Amino acid sequence: MQTRDELRDPITPVSARALAAETPRTYPASIRTAAVIAAWLVPGGGHLLLGRFGRALLFFFTLVGSFVLGLSIEGRLFWPTVADPTSFMHYDLITVLWSFAQIGGGLCYVVSYALGFGLSARPEAATYEYANTFMILAGLLNYLVVIDAFDIASGRKR
Amino acid sequence: MHFFMMALYAAITAVVLAAIDPKAETTRQKALHGLKTFGGFLGIGLLLSLILYPLPW
Repeated sequence: MQTRDELRDPITPVSARALAAETPRTYPASIRTAAVIAAWLVPGGGHLLLGRFGRALLFFFTLVGSFVLGLSIEGRLFWPTVADPTSFMHYDLITVLWSFAQIGGGLCYVVSYALGFGLSARPEAATYEYANTFMILAGLLNYLVVIDAFDIASGRKR
Repeated sequence: MHFFMMALYAAITAVVLAAIDPKAETTRQKALHGLKTFGGFLGIGLLLSLILYPLPW
């Protein structure tokens, strides 16, 4: 004969809570959108909005640090420039790609532009190529962080 | 200088890629993934530099 304890639902309230904490949560569309925009504007901002404080701080310091390091060692902000107005490829492809990569940094790019940092190129500087690489890296990695924030907000991962 | 910059680049990339890795559940798994990425970047960088060093162009 079964006792009352044996007949009870195997999922006790404590294990049900643990299960709920393990299961990824789907956020409403408004929070998903806000998380994606915040993640692009400020590296780690989307994760902060979704309550992932550790990852938010990690992304903020790593990516903003990379962008600021690039700017401080003679990096340059790229913007698509016209190569040949008569050709099929109107714009200089490398500046198109590099500006796309740097714009991934969100407010890092916008604020630097507004404050006048990185507007003049100094290709003769020894650290010019390193600097641009770090700024491009920050932008491209932030695109991945934006996708990660979207995945968390849509319940695909924790 | 170049090696330091390469190592810094590898470290930043490894930290971010490890943090967003969807397969790594625990901190230990993320740290291992980050170390592997960092080591892979440095190892491949050094290997490529050794291969390209003798080339005259």
